[in-house]
Amino acid sequence: MGSLEGLMTGFEVAFSLTGILFVLIGVFVGTFIGMLPGLGPITAIAVMIPITYGMDPSTALVMMAGVYYGAVFGGSTASILLNAPGISGTVATSFDGYPMAQQGKAGKALAIAAVASFTGGTVSVVLLMLFAPALASVAVAFSPAAYFALMFMGLTAISSLSEGSTVKALISAVVGFMVATIGIDAQTGTQRYTFGNVSLLEGLDFLVIALGLFALAEVCSLIINRKDLSVNNAHKLGSLRLTKGDFNEMKGPVTRQSFLGFILGVLPGAGATIASFIGYITEKRIAKNPDEFGKGSVKGLAAPETANNAATSGAFVPLLSLGIPGSGTTAVMLGAFMVLGVQPGPLLMTDHPEIFWGIIASMYLGNVFLLVLNLPLIPYIAKILKIPRPLLISLVIMFSIIGVYAISFSTFDLYMLLLFGVVGFLMRLFAFPAPPLILAFILGGMMEQSFRQALTISNGSMMVFIKDPISLSLLIVALLSFTFPLIRQIRSRKG
Amino acid sequence: MKKLLSLLVLVLLMVIASACSGGSEDASGSEGDTSSGDWSPEQPIEIVSPSGAGGGWDTTARMVGKTFNETGIIEQDIGVVNKPGGGGAVGWASIAEKEGSNTDLFVSSPPILLVPLNGQSEYGHEDFTPLSNMIADYAAFAVAADAKWDNLNELFADMKEDPSSITVVGASSPGSMDHVQFMKIAKAAGVDVTKVKYVSDQDGGALTALLNGSVDVYSTGVAETVEQVKAGKIKVLAVTSEERLEGDVLSDFPTAIEQGIDATFVNWRGFFGPPNMDEAAVKYYEEKFKKLSESEEFADIRKNYGWSEMYMNSEEYKTFLDDQKKEIQGLLDELGIGK
Repeated sequence: MGSLEGLMTGFEVAFSLTGILFVLIGVFVGTFIGMLPGLGPITAIAVMIPITYGMDPSTALVMMAGVYYGAVFGGSTASILLNAPGISGTVATSFDGYPMAQQGKAGKALAIAAVASFTGGTVSVVLLMLFAPALASVAVAFSPAAYFALMFMGLTAISSLSEGSTVKALISAVVGFMVATIGIDAQTGTQRYTFGNVSLLEGLDFLVIALGLFALAEVCSLIINRKDLSVNNAHKLGSLRLTKGDFNEMKGPVTRQSFLGFILGVLPGAGATIASFIGYITEKRIAKNPDEFGKGSVKGLAAPETANNAATSGAFVPLLSLGIPGSGTTAVMLGAFMVLGVQPGPLLMTDHPEIFWGIIASMYLGNVFLLVLNLPLIPYIAKILKIPRPLLISLVIMFSIIGVYAISFSTFDLYMLLLFGVVGFLMRLFAFPAPPLILAFILGGMMEQSFRQALTISNGSMMVFIKDPISLSLLIVALLSFTFPLIRQIRSRKG
Repeated sequence: MKKLLSLLVLVLLMVIASACSGGSEDASGSEGDTSSGDWSPEQPIEIVSPSGAGGGWDTTARMVGKTFNETGIIEQDIGVVNKPGGGGAVGWASIAEKEGSNTDLFVSSPPILLVPLNGQSEYGHEDFTPLSNMIADYAAFAVAADAKWDNLNELFADMKEDPSSITVVGASSPGSMDHVQFMKIAKAAGVDVTKVKYVSDQDGGALTALLNGSVDVYSTGVAETVEQVKAGKIKVLAVTSEERLEGDVLSDFPTAIEQGIDATFVNWRGFFGPPNMDEAAVKYYEEKFKKLSESEEFADIRKNYGWSEMYMNSEEYKTFLDDQKKEIQGLLDELGIGK
């Protein structure tokens, strides 16, 4: 069966009455759960898996895919309004989204996020449709050495994420690295920093740290500064309408990040998180006025939001064309396939064209549904900020606790959440930036593992990082991105 | 606004309900007449899957629960609860607290031997009541389709000659299943297992590394290889079953035994109860599991998921587990892993 014929079958599946209905159910549930602080696509998919038992596989999977990208789409809401990211892919969204909402432009911030998500999602589905079979080879092109180089490049973002003292940013990053080593070391099976505690064997979950450092620390600040009038803009929603100027500003980042995000999403293990961070820093690097970033910049919000949605479609390339799950979330998706008796792999496209193309075709529909569902809801969702401060603070705390508890139903995680809340608050008091810590935590684990894998394979020779062309080019880019700001600084001093 | 709030509360309740479903009631199995030896459950049965939704344990538990109810072999409602964490250790710890209960079961497989041996769980199979084993899965060792090795002996010959030239990859850390299953067969073939290079790669990286040539051998489960073999991307040098498996493609995979290496590795999967479950209840479940294993409905499920039939009753199961543990212990000692 040719691709075109396959695609037609896919559209028949997606645009049948049941298809449309289940895409709608999928994106609705996904976007709704995604909006809740602390809950992301993993929770959303896990909640839905038992429902799919006995369903027709193509219909069920079209729905599950909708749950997945719907949750990523909705994930920005909590980041923007409450500084409480529910998935690692929306941490970067909070850098500019939350300041924008605090300036009384919550409506606008949500609208930008929705438009950016929609564009990123739709452009990447086109790419997915055209190139999914061809990109399968790209998905496996990265050796452990190349992964190390990619993570290393992502780390250069630390220099961009630090407001103020670079030393403090580096200290934060080092703490992030240390926290990433907690748990069973995959290469030796040895326990590191677990203190014999069963709950620490699998390491700390991203959510525990993100919600502690961002949401709980923010809550602490709000309580302490409750008499400070300068933050009182926050309950204003502002206009939803995006001006021509906004669109002009968004154009560049959204176009670039739709492509870049998609490509990074294709790589197993990289995914939405790295795409959003790299999207954020590239746009900051090339922006005319990088100083606006972190203070409610339109570009700074549009870039990661586009990238993480584009990467989500990208993640379907290895999953559908190779049967390789590229992240914890796609691993749960893979589980959903298996439950339905479908084994994704290189033959999925020929054996089950209705599933392969059905999912892709349904994503067009899903993205449109998401935009239509989200835009009219924005004024209502943004009203969350009108909830009286004491009540809102309690709600954020409650949702953070539920989100963390839902990971593994362990009360130990809740103590950890509390600990990181306190750490986050102290970091704010002493002006240590939190983003480098979370970035180092996300990248550190993978970076260490791929570094050691590469060295085991090469019998200890460091040359492996230079011999691999992908690794070499990424390391050069990383080096340039370190030196670029320095050169700029020296130049501006001269001028 | 009110609508929105009530909607929020509704979703919240849904999430809480799904999180806590079943886990609340304090099941003690004192109901039913245990003295006469004729016991049957008078409250819903709960099966814990000590992993997240969608994995092997979860699928087995849900399929067993579903088929029990659908065939009417067990009339009482059966619910499945996920308790992920610590490679199973978190779920086992929670079951250990239900001592004496007759309606709290859990599903398990070789990790209940391996995880405690690695010092990562204070509970092992000895602490629970083995009820019945149900199915078996096997390991497969795969190489790239264009690799120079066509059988296991060629690979092991190269490994003996220059162990530093060959890397084995698995999805989990040394001491866990992917590692141990390969080492067990390699050891039987006379390879010095302390010199084998093994890397672990989670998040799908293991297959990626095999396909792009970063590593040479992939130690995994049979099911994971089928699609890739069909597509001509990899070839399977050996499976660890006693005899060739049945089924399309599967029957082409040679066993290690037929290549002259006298070793097998079974990824068995079965059900356990909490410590000190009543004997009458053990008897009840044994019978029911046997009936299920022999049913046509469950045969279809085995076929669907590529599982093999491997029923053992409580007594046989216990002996089997004790033997397996001793054997693995010896292997881990040689590898210098474990407590």
